[in-house]
Amino acid sequence: MKILLKGIEFDDNVSVAGYQSRGGYESFRKALSMSPDSVVDEVKKSGLRGRGGAGFPTGIKWSFFIPRKTEKPIYLIINADESEPGTFKDRLIMERNPHLLLEGILCGAWALQAQKTFIYIRGEYAYPYTVMKQAIKECYEKGLLGQNILGSGFSHDVIIHRGAGAYICGEETALMNSLEGKKGQPRLKPPFPAGYGLYGMPTNINNVETICNIPFIVQNGGDAYFKIGVEKSSGTKLISASGHIKKPGIYEVEMGYPLLDFINNECGGMLEGRKIKCIIPGGSSTPVMTGEELVGVNLDYESMRLAGSSLGCAGFMVLDDTADMVEVLLNLTKFYAHESCGQCTPCREGGHWIEKIVQRIADGQGRPEDIALIQSVCGQIAGHTICAFGDTMVMPYQSILKKFASEFEAKISLNPNSLVAKSKRLAVLQENQL
Amino acid sequence: MSINLSSEALVRVEELKNYYPSKKSAVMPLLQLVQEELGKISEEGILWVAEQVEMSPVHVRELVTFYSMYTTKERGQYHFQVCRTLSCAVMGEGSKKICQAIEKRCDVKEKAVSANGLWSFEQVECLGSCGTGPMCEINDTYFENLTTEKITEIINLIEQEKPDLKFSTKKDALGSGLKNYSPSAVYTKE
Amino acid sequence: MNEQNLDLITLTIDDLEVSVPKGTVIIEAAKQVHAKIPHYCYHKSLSIVGNCRMCQVEVEGAPKLMIACHTQVQPGMKVRTHQTSDKVREAQASTLEMILINHPLDCTVCDQAGHCKLQDYHFEYNAQPSRFIETKVSKVKAEPLGPTVMLDAERCIMCTRCIRFCDEVTKTSELGMVNRGDRSMISINPGKELNNPFSGNVVDLCPVGALTHKQWRFNTRIWYTKQVDTICTGCSTGCSVKLAIRDNQVVHVKSRPNSATKQDWLCDEGRYGFHRFIPKHHLKDASVKQQVVSIADALNNLEALKSNDTAFLLAPDLFLEDFYLVKKFRESFAPEAQVAVAYRGRSLTELEKILISPDYAANFRSAQYLGLISDNPESDYQTLLNKIYNQEIKNLVLVGDRAIDLQDLNSEIVSAITKLSLSVAIIADADSALRTTCNVVLPSRSVYQKAGLMISNKLRLQYSERLLDFDFSTHPHWRYFEMLASKFGKSITLAKEDREMTLALLAEINADPSDLNTNLRLVRKQGLEIAFQ
Repeated sequence: MKILLKGIEFDDNVSVAGYQSRGGYESFRKALSMSPDSVVDEVKKSGLRGRGGAGFPTGIKWSFFIPRKTEKPIYLIINADESEPGTFKDRLIMERNPHLLLEGILCGAWALQAQKTFIYIRGEYAYPYTVMKQAIKECYEKGLLGQNILGSGFSHDVIIHRGAGAYICGEETALMNSLEGKKGQPRLKPPFPAGYGLYGMPTNINNVETICNIPFIVQNGGDAYFKIGVEKSSGTKLISASGHIKKPGIYEVEMGYPLLDFINNECGGMLEGRKIKCIIPGGSSTPVMTGEELVGVNLDYESMRLAGSSLGCAGFMVLDDTADMVEVLLNLTKFYAHESCGQCTPCREGGHWIEKIVQRIADGQGRPEDIALIQSVCGQIAGHTICAFGDTMVMPYQSILKKFASEFEAKISLNPNSLVAKSKRLAVLQENQL
Repeated sequence: MSINLSSEALVRVEELKNYYPSKKSAVMPLLQLVQEELGKISEEGILWVAEQVEMSPVHVRELVTFYSMYTTKERGQYHFQVCRTLSCAVMGEGSKKICQAIEKRCDVKEKAVSANGLWSFEQVECLGSCGTGPMCEINDTYFENLTTEKITEIINLIEQEKPDLKFSTKKDALGSGLKNYSPSAVYTKE
Repeated sequence: MNEQNLDLITLTIDDLEVSVPKGTVIIEAAKQVHAKIPHYCYHKSLSIVGNCRMCQVEVEGAPKLMIACHTQVQPGMKVRTHQTSDKVREAQASTLEMILINHPLDCTVCDQAGHCKLQDYHFEYNAQPSRFIETKVSKVKAEPLGPTVMLDAERCIMCTRCIRFCDEVTKTSELGMVNRGDRSMISINPGKELNNPFSGNVVDLCPVGALTHKQWRFNTRIWYTKQVDTICTGCSTGCSVKLAIRDNQVVHVKSRPNSATKQDWLCDEGRYGFHRFIPKHHLKDASVKQQVVSIADALNNLEALKSNDTAFLLAPDLFLEDFYLVKKFRESFAPEAQVAVAYRGRSLTELEKILISPDYAANFRSAQYLGLISDNPESDYQTLLNKIYNQEIKNLVLVGDRAIDLQDLNSEIVSAITKLSLSVAIIADADSALRTTCNVVLPSRSVYQKAGLMISNKLRLQYSERLLDFDFSTHPHWRYFEMLASKFGKSITLAKEDREMTLALLAEINADPSDLNTNLRLVRKQGLEIAFQ
């Protein structure tokens, strides 16, 4: 089943002609023949959930704009600030399937009666930006964007904006601030974007992958989409697979696909002679799952949640038995400490504190109480910040510490100054004396 | 405040100022433009951009220090940004080896510029290329699936071909790349 | 009030019921039940950023703690503060631990020690030793932000109050927060300074010792000082201030938020210029023709004042009490005498206008209130100066050091005064030019050496507290008129000291004289709005 990656094998897919030769922009034409409300209804029926990580039902999000008020223009934002470690799916769509994204935008814009769309693409994605930019330009030339699109009377503009290197701009309100020319720091909610978003206008924000599902839903109906996948997670999902696997890459699978099958089949299994140790399944901000925990787990929101983790945005990072979990945690803490926007006290201070503790453990200066200390600091961060950054940062920390405590203890016990080491030395000394 | 910008850039400045519903939104592309023209964002650059978008200079300065792609220091003609985040750190030889290879080949220390002004390098956080790690962004072009051999070869080729590798806000396009290297390896035909 | 009642929302805070207008945030609602919610970044006159996380409260039904500074009240909401919630106490203790991990803890050399919210809250809400053993982040210390303010970035807790003040109140936007994460730091743009007419307020706003006054750095520990609530006498705005006094000197000036006027700020001229009304040398003796005499002897020479050819030139920083007795004296002995207040107007920039009044005359309204001067004090003043110059009057009483404005004290006026048949100066400054100009000089007290009432530009009756010690050989200005009147055979007040005089005046001004002490407390705290008859 290919919804999102349909046609990416064709090089001419990046042109309007090539895309249209495979049925492109038919969905948008169909959407124009439907009422905006009925497009929203179809999306509701489809059960599509946001692919950016939170999994909020897209149809419900869109229905915040009904009944429609017309005093202020409605804006649509496409979050293409893909910065979650382990995730690189939106990049593939933008590089190989830019018109799918634009068609999704057009369908969404019609449904929301949005005046403008803003694509916020991360600054480092220079090449995907040029592909998108070219596609947008062609759409304007072909009358698919701008005034009176396809003679329908509907007008829409797409503005594409490059970020400049800040993970936090993937948070929707931080993204809006960044787009407004401010620092990318999350806003307090309420007000919510649907009421007061970009430039104070009602704003809807969707992930690239989410909006790319819309043309299929419009074309085939919400019910048809709902039948794909499993009940609470319909449709297909792009999985970004990386780590110690034979075939890293992006795979489109139906929701509910068995996780181990995915690793063994799509990913080609683990590297030769290696055993799976753990995976971080949803991008780095989700709890780690050990190899044993993967049995019987399927790739959908519910199954992953029940297994104690989260599908997130499906950035699969597979680690094998060569991975040193202290180093893994250190790597992640460095990332989050570097990316904290510095607004809220717990995240700003706590993130760096944990980084420093883990660094000390990795340097062989750990203390036995450090593990409990990190856990405690994690508790002090989660739930106490403006945005979800604090909450998500501690997810991998807490789970790695819990599930691989022995590795940390082992490392700490090697500390010549640690109490454990001291007491061991003392025991040896006493034994020798006896 | 005036700074030396090419006439082409000045045309682009006006375009960018009218591109968004609010002039202030142009602050980021304008900073990118200044960095492209001057090689860094200087104090004068900050003042100039502030004037263009009618912001207080200190708030422009906030942005320059907040976003990691802006620099207030000169970089080498080829700036290496090696991804150090998890996937790139564990895949293949790992990003650390890539860094060492760059340091050795280019005789450059992290966050410094080589004596010949050609190279500079730093480690950065995830660049969205996890499936093709380890990877390195040289100027604005991705080089993926790296090995120590491959990065050395790339550096050799850069020395020979002198490609641009930069994204130009002025032209709104990516400059020339290495002859036999695609700007992206995220999709490969099997 | 009735209109507001329609929009009242009832909720409980720590099981106590409270009704507040719709749109109120919890932190404000809690004040009504005396639940002080600790906070750093919140300030009622600035926008809400919610970044310090100190004001978290438990709201029944909410999955996580909410910040009281941003959460608006809802009908039936059940809020628990640290007084009744362990969760909240834990969160506050943890926030404090986080705030302090990179704090240098240099309280021993910090000017803020003793009036620092970090110290106060740590004592109240945490009081646990830190578990942080790593190296702290080092940042700039003692960086001048401008002519008045110093930054210690290590002490900063990133509440951004100072930034918001410059963005929202003065709209000058000098300050910003550069970098991100724990490297974040308050900064100015090189080449620009924090130099606006209100810059000192950022120090008041700073809850910790990150921003300090250049002028008063390291001058004293705050606990060695006496702290006095009073008002500023620089212009007729009459801002509320809190002063720290040590060894008979003003060592620190803070703005004192006034809930009645909703005025939280103080201008730099008022703050850093508080010393300008304190004479370098205090006049202690009376003199007649520059010969030192006793006050009683000096008063013996003033019989001529009982004449309509007498004029009174009054300083603009006299108190209502002084003006009142001038009025009484005039009514009794010189009913047609000219009176003027040395009023000088000034032009203000748009920015200055947000707080400063267009004059250098703190209390001209009192003179107006008593009918001593007209609606146009500037022309009254000019008219009298002309009369002096043209010798149209015979006797002149100059009351207060600023009875002649420094700018008007040119040689022509001075020589005109010396030509009058009698000139009396009631002054405090031994170095005043009036001392050598006038025939009779009587020693009085400067504005900070006595207490009394002032009426602000916006007709608010306020109380200026006595701050500094005075010499017992001197008298407040009004007392001389009382003494003179009794010498002339008439008693115009029975008051013996400032306070008696003030209470007598309050009884006259206020509709309800039954509890004058309560009224005086109110006038002291926030002032009392009065109507002109």
